[in-house]
Amino acid sequence: MTTAHQAEASRPVHGARAAELIARELPDAVLRRGVAYGEETVWIARERLVEVCTLLRDHADGRYRIPLHVTAVDWPDREPDEPRFDVVYQLRSLQHNDTCRLIVRVPEDDPSVPSLEKVFAGMDWHEREAYDLLGITFTGHHDLRRLLLPADWEGHPLRKDYVSFGEPVAFTHNLEWALPEQERPRDLPGETR
Amino acid sequence: MTALPPVQPPPSRDPLSEQYEHGRDLLGVETGLDSVDLVQLGESTMELNMGPQHPSTHGVLRLVLELDGEIVRQCKPDIGYLHTGFEKDFERHNYQQCIPYTDRMDYLSPLFNNLGFSLAVERLLGIDVPPRAQYLRVIMCELTRIASHLLWYGTSALDLGATTPFVYAWRDREKLLDINELVSGVRMHTSFIRVGGLLADVPDEFYGLVSEVIKTFPRRIDEHELLITKNPIWRERTIGLGVISAEDAMSYGASGPVLRGSGIPYDLRKAQPYSSYDHFDFDVPIGRNGDVYDRYLVRMQEMRESLKILDQAFNNLPDGPVNSSDRRVTLPPRNEINTSMESLIYHFKLVTEGFRTPVGHVYQAVESPRGELGFYIVSDGSNRPYRVKVRAPSFSNLSALPHMVHGELIADVVAVIGSIDILLGDVDR
Repeated sequence: MTTAHQAEASRPVHGARAAELIARELPDAVLRRGVAYGEETVWIARERLVEVCTLLRDHADGRYRIPLHVTAVDWPDREPDEPRFDVVYQLRSLQHNDTCRLIVRVPEDDPSVPSLEKVFAGMDWHEREAYDLLGITFTGHHDLRRLLLPADWEGHPLRKDYVSFGEPVAFTHNLEWALPEQERPRDLPGETR
Repeated sequence: MTALPPVQPPPSRDPLSEQYEHGRDLLGVETGLDSVDLVQLGESTMELNMGPQHPSTHGVLRLVLELDGEIVRQCKPDIGYLHTGFEKDFERHNYQQCIPYTDRMDYLSPLFNNLGFSLAVERLLGIDVPPRAQYLRVIMCELTRIASHLLWYGTSALDLGATTPFVYAWRDREKLLDINELVSGVRMHTSFIRVGGLLADVPDEFYGLVSEVIKTFPRRIDEHELLITKNPIWRERTIGLGVISAEDAMSYGASGPVLRGSGIPYDLRKAQPYSSYDHFDFDVPIGRNGDVYDRYLVRMQEMRESLKILDQAFNNLPDGPVNSSDRRVTLPPRNEINTSMESLIYHFKLVTEGFRTPVGHVYQAVESPRGELGFYIVSDGSNRPYRVKVRAPSFSNLSALPHMVHGELIADVVAVIGSIDILLGDVDR
C-alpha cells in the first residue's frame, strides 16, 4: 500500500499549472513563486490581480473557474517597510483538476485590493467576509458591508491586534495595556491573539 | 291584444365603480381616489422579511425578499446570526484543542470537519496515518454522510408538507447516531478523528452495527424513495424549480450536490482522493437540469454509493494500529509511561503544550455532504495555528440562492433553501 505522502509526492504540484500560465502570459505580474507541501503559491502585483484572474479563468490551459475562498493573513510583526497583510485567493479548475493559490500583499495604511466580483460571482460574499473580519477593502465591490458581524461592530476581529478577551485591568506586568486609549502604544505587548 | 314590450337588456354594470360609489356614499366624503389606477398598483413591490426564526430556513437565516405579488424579484440573504468566531478560537488553542471546535461548525457532519482539519495538520507535519485508521475514517465519514443526507431528506420534505419522510428518516438516522455513540461516547460532536489517527480503536459491537446498516439500508433507502420520488405533489413542487446552470454554479463557487445536480461530475473523493478513497469503487451521481428535483435525486443516489463504499471498506478493513507511530503527535503507550521517565515527561508535554508544526501554509479539502470543505492553515512554527480559514461549502452554495429564487414564487423559496442543504453553523462559523 502506498502511503498518502508517497501518493502526494508522485502527483504534480497543485497550482504549478497556474503559476506557469501566469509566468508565460503576464510575466511582470509575478512578484514571487514558492512551492510548499505540494502546493505552489504565486505572489501577484496588486494592480494586476483582475487581469491575472481573468486569464486564469478564461485561458484553455487554466480554466480556474471556481472561486474557493478569499481571506487575509495578518502579519503585524513584519518589518515596517513590508506590507502587513497577505490577501490569499484560492481557485479551482475542474477541467484540469487543480487548485491554485494567489497572494497579494497589501500595506496597513492602504489595505485595498481590486474586487473580483465581476470575474467570479461567488467572490461577492467572500470579499465581504474578508472586509468584515480583517478590514481589507475591495475597490469596485458594489455592496461592501459587514457580512457576519452586526453592522455597528467596531474593529476587525481576525486582525492580530484585536483583543478579543480579557479586560484592561492594571497589573505590574501590563501597565501599558491598561493605559487610556490615547496613551496606549500601537502594538500591544505580549500575546494578543 | 297588445304586443308585449321588447325585452330590455340590463344596463351594463361596472361592479368596481359601483363599489366605489357605495364606499364613497358610506364615507360621506370625496376621497379623491378617482385617480387611482389599478394597473399602477400592480407595479409596486413589497419587502418581506423571512426569518431569522422561520422554521424552514434551517437555522437562523434571514432573507429580505422583494415581492411583486407572489413573485420574488430580489432576495437578499442576511447571515451571521450563528457567527461564533471559530477561526479566531483556533488561533488561541493548540492543534488538539482545535478538533472539538471543528465539530461544532458543520454539526450535522462533524466527522468531515475533524477529517479535513486533521488531514491538513498531518500534511504540515508529514505524518502518515495507518491503513486501519484510514479505512475507519472512511467508514465513519460515509456513515455520517448518510446520516446527514437522511436529515436533509426528512426536513426538506417536511418543508413542502410531507410529514412521513421526516419520521422515517429519523428512525434510520438513530441507527447511525448509535454507532457514533458507541465509538466515541457522543452522538453528534464526536471528535473521533484526531491528528495522527483516531480517538481509539472501535469496540467489538461496532462490527455488528455496521454490518446491519450495510444489510438493511438499501431496503430503507428504497422505502424513502417510494415515499416521494414518484409522488406527483413532490414532483410538481420540485421539477424545474430553482434551476442553476453549470456555468453559474461554478461561478458562484458551488460544490457538492448543488454542482453535481447541474451536471458536473466533480467529487473530491474521486478527483483528489484522500484517506484511501482511491481503493474503493463507486460512482458519482449527477443531475441533468440543475433543479430542486435533480439535487434530491443526486443525494438519494449518493446514499447508495456511500453504502457501496461502506461495504468495501468494512469487508477489507485492515488490522493494525489506529494511530500514527509518530511520537510527535501520538501519546506514548501506558506501559512505557510506567517504565520510562522520558515517556512520562513527553506524555506530560504533549498533553499540556501540544505539538509544533513546521512553518508553512497548506490547503486541504474534503468532500463533505454539502460540498467542498477546505481548511487553509497557516503555521508559524508554534503549537497553535497562526491562521485557519475554513472554506465552508454551505457559504458558497447559499450565496447562489438569490440567483436560484429570482422570479420564482415565494412558496418555492422554501423548497429551494431546502435543496441547497445549508447549515447555518457551517455558513457562519
